[in-house]
Amino acid sequence: MTTLESSPERTAGRRPGALGVSVARKEDERLLRGDGQFTDDVDPARVLYMAVARCPYPHARIVRVDTSAAERLEGVQHVLSGPEVQRLSEPLGVLRPVPGAPRLPYYALAQDVATHEGQPVVSIVATSRHLAEDALELVDVEYQPLPHVVDVLAALEPDAPVLHPSVLGSNLLASNSDGRGDPAARFAEADVVVEGRFRIGRVTALPMETRGVVAQWRPGARELTVHCSTQVPHLIRKQLAESLRLRESEVRAIASDVGGGFGLKLGVFPEDVLACLHAMALHRPVKWSEDRGEHFRASTHGRESVHDYRIAADADGRILAMTDVYATDIGGWNSPFGSAQLSSVVFNGPYKVEDGYTERRVTLTNKTPVGAYRGYGQPEVNFAYERLMDRLARRLRMDPVELRARNMLKPADLPWVNPAGAVYDSGDYERCLRMAAERIGWAEHRAAPRRPRADGRLVGIGFSSFVERTGYASSRFLAKRGSQFGAHESITLRANRSGGIDAYTGVSTIGQSSETAFAQLVAEVFGTDYDAVTVHVGDTAASPLNTGSFASRTMIAAAGAIREASEQLARKTLRLAAFRLEVQPEELEIAGPLVRHRTEPGVAVPLAEVYSAAITGQGIPPGEDPGLEATSHFEPSDAAYSFGTAAALVAVDPETGEFGVERFVLVHDAGTVVNPKIVDGQVRGALAQGFGAALTEELRYDAETGQLVNGSMVDYFPPTAADLPPVELLHTEVPSPVTPFGIRGVGEVGTIPPGAAIANAICEALADHGVELDSLPVTPEKVWRALTSDKGVEQW
Amino acid sequence: MNVEVETMVNGKLVHASVPARLHVADFLRQHLGLTGTHVGCEQGSCGMCTVMVDGEAVKSCLMLACQLDGRHVRTVESLAEDDRLSPLQQAFKEEHALQCGFCSPGFLMTATALAYQGKRPCRAEIREEIAGVLCRCTGYENVVTAIERWFAEHPQGAREDETADGARTA
Ligand code: FES
Ligand code: FES
Repeated sequence: MTTLESSPERTAGRRPGALGVSVARKEDERLLRGDGQFTDDVDPARVLYMAVARCPYPHARIVRVDTSAAERLEGVQHVLSGPEVQRLSEPLGVLRPVPGAPRLPYYALAQDVATHEGQPVVSIVATSRHLAEDALELVDVEYQPLPHVVDVLAALEPDAPVLHPSVLGSNLLASNSDGRGDPAARFAEADVVVEGRFRIGRVTALPMETRGVVAQWRPGARELTVHCSTQVPHLIRKQLAESLRLRESEVRAIASDVGGGFGLKLGVFPEDVLACLHAMALHRPVKWSEDRGEHFRASTHGRESVHDYRIAADADGRILAMTDVYATDIGGWNSPFGSAQLSSVVFNGPYKVEDGYTERRVTLTNKTPVGAYRGYGQPEVNFAYERLMDRLARRLRMDPVELRARNMLKPADLPWVNPAGAVYDSGDYERCLRMAAERIGWAEHRAAPRRPRADGRLVGIGFSSFVERTGYASSRFLAKRGSQFGAHESITLRANRSGGIDAYTGVSTIGQSSETAFAQLVAEVFGTDYDAVTVHVGDTAASPLNTGSFASRTMIAAAGAIREASEQLARKTLRLAAFRLEVQPEELEIAGPLVRHRTEPGVAVPLAEVYSAAITGQGIPPGEDPGLEATSHFEPSDAAYSFGTAAALVAVDPETGEFGVERFVLVHDAGTVVNPKIVDGQVRGALAQGFGAALTEELRYDAETGQLVNGSMVDYFPPTAADLPPVELLHTEVPSPVTPFGIRGVGEVGTIPPGAAIANAICEALADHGVELDSLPVTPEKVWRALTSDKGVEQW
Repeated sequence: MNVEVETMVNGKLVHASVPARLHVADFLRQHLGLTGTHVGCEQGSCGMCTVMVDGEAVKSCLMLACQLDGRHVRTVESLAEDDRLSPLQQAFKEEHALQCGFCSPGFLMTATALAYQGKRPCRAEIREEIAGVLCRCTGYENVVTAIERWFAEHPQGAREDETADGARTA
């Protein structure tokens, strides 16, 4: 198996902890001892527990709420229902609004109408969680069920029940488009047109730690301390302050360890506001830990969209135009983080297309809101265009690898502006494609395809090439979209008298190894030992204002801030040391625990002494300020695009449709790599989620009742250790010109190509049977149906 | 309704009076402050709450605290010795077998129970054996590698570890 980690030339002769070395993680010691501090582990004295009554219908008017019996139960301390919440708080904020969408007033508890199953209706605080949950049974709510719609396309029909009639005349929350050139003219003159409707299932991020919050209010100090499981502490602080009508300085948000986020833990959720309202009313700490059943219905979902995609090409396989008109399901409300808009940004994938058009229709349905989920729109559109690339190849009787290569942007074409206005920075897309084809054995397979094996199975190989936007554009760009956040990261570095550096960051520890990677960069730029750097995360009271961990953006943006702050700190350190050693600063360098003379071995001073001198102000040059601390903020000039190609080898039983992914190759470019082990780990983890969404994961709603029918871990199937296909990872390293050190993001890439690569492999194996797959997840049943029915199947 | 329980947890005798409906995971976390045992589903599906009871890996959300009476429990907190991670934990660290780390106690205790029972699983068997614990971050590859490496490098250590705190039934 090839991984970044295993290429020895990368790391030869480098210091432990230096940039590019797989140093052991800072996070691991506490987590392996069971000494992490996840939100549910926070247990203040006199804490009370919250439980939430939720609407059992997809759409219902709340006629009457009677909480008197619940209030009488012994141990119950406080009850909130809709009107009180409206009186005490503002609607929840939306961090990343859908452009052009009206604001739907989403209060922490439903007001007159609930628009999805699981929407909070009443919340109760009691002396134990058991009692709070007992009290839920005593809450009497009279609902008048209203007509519902759970299918995204049905929701757009003129006769569909409208979810928010006081704000909107239909369920189209917003629609908008991007385009360039004259795609209609290109389609008219094309030799070949392929098109299809592709459906991508609704999934859940399913972090192993559910959401949770612990709120404490000190009225005299006007200080609300909120521990919560979030990827964005500073943004939570802002949103909570707004909802609770507090000043930002009155709120402190702390996210200690976070048991996975994957985009779900962005933004503020109703329960966060509710716990704070109770705590403020009671002057006692209030804790809520989401149970898994609630998680399935009340935390945002991911994906779900329908893409009508078209490609026009000439007889040589040159693509003339690509268009994607798609509907994404956003569920019952504006979610904290909008919906899958990124599909449009990368809709043409890695292919050079001057004429293109993309249009999105963000649609309301009576389901749990859809928010960000790892990859955020990119796996969806990749499935559509990569399925069609294979179909185009078949129409033209071309090798699908050659077809892709012919249309890919070449290094010389980059930077390049795509029809949606995205600027692809740099890369060698074709190299990844060729490497994947070579590794999977495409040439040999292509020479003799579709001969049944001894076990009767047919083997197919499928490819999926992609670009992935990593980072979050610029704050200027975001301002135009109404985003409530910017694009920068920040860091504070502070020397201490033990000879170490404390680094303070507002990102939380969600598994992406920021503590480790940040310390590596500080050590690299400043010159001290990795072990001398301690990273403190996720406390808004201690860290400079930042953006947070999402969109594979943390490292890209933070690297610039870390470099700047480390250099500042190093410059002052050298000046102070030079004063002590009576030499010039330029003659000195920082090396591990010392500042030493570059050429005279005997001349050196321990860092700890320099730090002490700075902190006490005793023994520093006249005119120099005491203290040794630096804060920097950095915004990358633009997003950096990761890219790559995946190849899947799949064996299919043409009788039953049952199949197995026998090999999966991913060739990927993340630019300059800070820590190869972490990069491999991120890619593998995302791939597992990609395989889940490609093969087994789908949240299903019953059209008749509007109920989520598989809202538990007993009947929703994320992959286990026994389920995953073997993965071969290969990397290239083309530095990005738009980010510090040339880093590209890595967090989401693995979610993008599995669906298309696996479906393409199955369709290739079953090409003689005319099988087409057009929806995710791909299941044996779907393959069998495609084999046995010719309805809706295009014959080649 | 409360029930009296007497149990050995990580080598220490514990007497407690607990609600009859309290499950073991909550007992460990809330009553004993052993928060290394995590809760992810409370229905036996995710494996976050896995601990060792009388030498077997048990999903502690599926067992009531009162059922611990007379039994030996080991949680993740028992693995490291003072300042030193156990060889199993060390293997996890070296192989990058965790990201957010929420699942790690479940895997560590599952592997510990395998060793306790004298099993020496091969790579494919490890995959099957740990399939009761979900991980949403790592894609499992490194978890399997870490456990495989631990079995290879510490065939004895694994056993000795188990007996050290009297976890064997008396
Ligand atoms: S919490 Fe026990 S198995 Fe999930
Ligand atoms: S490391 Fe996050 S769930 Fe396993």
